[in-house]
Amino acid sequence: MATEDATAPAQQRQSQVRIHLHTKSGDIELPQDTGSILVSTELKRYQLSTLVNRLLETDKPLPLEFLINGQFLRTSLDEFLTKNGISAETTLSVEYVKALIPPIYSASY
Amino acid sequence: NTHLEPDSASTRLTQEEGLALWTTYESRTRILSHLLTEHLRLILSPTQATKMRGDFRTGKRLNIKRIIPYVASQYKRDKIWMRRSVPSKRAYQIMLAIDDSKSMAEGGASALAFETLALVARSLEMLEAGELCIVGFGEDVEVKHEFGSPFTSQAGAEVVRRFAFEQTKTNVRKLVADAIELFRSARTRTSGSSAELWQLQLIISDGMCEDHAAIRRLVRQAQEERIMIVFIIVDAAYTSTTTGASVSGAAATSGGGGGITNLKNYTFERDPSTGETVMKDMRYLDTFPFGYYLIVRDVAELPGVLAGALRQWFAEVVDTGGY
Ligand SMILES: [Mg+2]
Repeated sequence: MATEDATAPAQQRQSQVRIHLHTKSGDIELPQDTGSILVSTELKRYQLSTLVNRLLETDKPLPLEFLINGQFLRTSLDEFLTKNGISAETTLSVEYVKALIPPIYSASY
Repeated sequence: NTHLEPDSASTRLTQEEGLALWTTYESRTRILSHLLTEHLRLILSPTQATKMRGDFRTGKRLNIKRIIPYVASQYKRDKIWMRRSVPSKRAYQIMLAIDDSKSMAEGGASALAFETLALVARSLEMLEAGELCIVGFGEDVEVKHEFGSPFTSQAGAEVVRRFAFEQTKTNVRKLVADAIELFRSARTRTSGSSAELWQLQLIISDGMCEDHAAIRRLVRQAQEERIMIVFIIVDAAYTSTTTGASVSGAAATSGGGGGITNLKNYTFERDPSTGETVMKDMRYLDTFPFGYYLIVRDVAELPGVLAGALRQWFAEVVDTGGY
């Protein structure tokens, strides 16, 4: 039983995921509860940072880091989901924090 | 078909558990299904006043389009009258497709889907409107109840047992493609009968699907094959106190709540003229590929909104003389 649309890609992988953005820092909380939003699983830290900055309507872009299940996002969402065996069917809880400025090396005496 | 039955899975209910669960959903929706039956009886009954149609030698009303050819043919082409056409007997084949994917387990969408199933299946049985088929879909499509077999409480219990809401993908494109195929063979099987056949698919899902453009093409193909598809979005994530469902996107958007009407889709696209990447946001429902959809947050709303959508569809079909 298969009447697959010939023009469509052979088998699509789930390319979108619902995420719920939240933070523990009171000063960068989203203006109102945005609920969950839908994004491509191709997104990486940089695009997510752009997205949150847009939602925050910041004047100067604020670099952000993202935590999923306590782990920092260092790859695309897709890779993260695959590596951790998480299904794109469920809403992903994503915490964002201000990126720490790389520590300036200070010589100690 | 390589889909493996989750028969051995520990998640599968026993027969007794299935029956107990089904009985709960049935009793919870008993009054509502009587209400829906009454709505549908009026809509599906073929005795309604039908359109005036040409071309007859005698009749009730002149067909204006026939007058000039009539004169030009020196009054030979004299079938210029219209009559009320006699409604013919109709037979229905109705498919209920229930989303068996994991996203349904979030926020209680699965319970709402079963209530919807119990409500709709019961009232169609009461109506004796025709044949009923139930399929589950996710990564794959599986027929849980075939056209032609009676839908008893035992059958209902068997159906609920066979849903686990654990499929890790939601392939709606495959669902529509397979449904067209199933409807084709069901139509062939009944081709001997004199009644005109109406085919209807009701999809019960949380509405989360991908590949909207490809799905839209298939929905159009279904329409060409006279298969009506109504998508019932069970919106369990909606948390606002506002109630009231919406038909065909006329949703009352209120602030807050995680409902599907508020869901936004953020995309990053390269602007070809500047080479810069721009972020765009769009309402998820703006690209939703189904023309007929309704949003249900409480099963109590369903008889009214479903009847409304079907009434609208039948009116359009009769109007265009599509059947
Ligand atoms: Mg799903």
